[in-house]
Amino acid sequence: MINCPSCDAENIPGVDECTECGQALTDLHLPMPDSAIKQSLLTDRVSVLGPKTPITIKPEMQVQEVIRMMVDENIGSVIVVQEGAPIGIFSERDALMKLNVDYAKYRERPVSEFMTSAPQTLEADAKLVFALQRMDIGGYRHLPIVGEQGELTGIVSVRDILRYLAKALTADSAA
Amino acid sequence: MVAQLNLSSETVAKIYASDHLIVCPTATVRDVFQQMQTTNNGAALVCDGEILKGIFTERDALKLMASEANLDVPIADVMTKDPVSMGVNDAVGKAVAKMSFGGYRRLPVVDDAGCALGFVKARHVLHYLVAHFPNIVYNLPPSPHHSTKAREGA
Repeated sequence: MINCPSCDAENIPGVDECTECGQALTDLHLPMPDSAIKQSLLTDRVSVLGPKTPITIKPEMQVQEVIRMMVDENIGSVIVVQEGAPIGIFSERDALMKLNVDYAKYRERPVSEFMTSAPQTLEADAKLVFALQRMDIGGYRHLPIVGEQGELTGIVSVRDILRYLAKALTADSAA
Repeated sequence: MVAQLNLSSETVAKIYASDHLIVCPTATVRDVFQQMQTTNNGAALVCDGEILKGIFTERDALKLMASEANLDVPIADVMTKDPVSMGVNDAVGKAVAKMSFGGYRRLPVVDDAGCALGFVKARHVLHYLVAHFPNIVYNLPPSPHHSTKAREGA
């Protein structure tokens, strides 16, 4: 039940106006952030995380070169890009699950055979809460950030989000 | 009713997962690779009896692949010894701090006796946090700039 702010009558959730006084109730259906952290999640955009420039590779690159690169650069995943758009992601997890002990057999094959295709992406001007939702529900640890034409512009990781939340929560409890 | 978010009093016991993979120090690397694949685990706890001795993660696996290392050596030779771990009664806030500042994505959880209980992952912490503001996270339109072409009913 929702109470009408002007006459306090009880109304069924979802009605457009109060059955008693006719006052518009549509605004009440919007979730109202009640803490600073919720407010910042709803208003801050993904760009506040400062998405890093991702390391990109071509789909035909050999698996052995990709793995070498990931170890040398100390990164957990690389984005496979074709004509500027992300078409796949290759992570430590893919290496372990798809190559495993047969690595030596596959090392000269192109990475496109082992990548995770069509990764979930997000625009840089999307609200932060979307990144949170994608990662929590999809279980992703990296989200490629794309521009208006779908071109890759950055990447955010679950650790970037945790760092943001940790900072916001300490600020929240200090306030 | 949304639970009170309290990172300093809520303990890791509530959020860690115990669906972990345990291997003994004498198992070969090849064995561990295969077990990680079949159980779909990104990391294994290396335990002598129940006592945590080290961890072996997909990162370590990647390094071994890159250097084309011999996979028939015991896991104890290549694992990360004495990893940074969490006590089961440590606060969630401590896990967040360790992860966000130490750069870890998963931390082994041990009890007072040093027995391995499982992993607390960045994903668990994220899920725990999301669970405290479900109505803003789960009530989202399918895409960030979603707008309907026509008025509803028109």
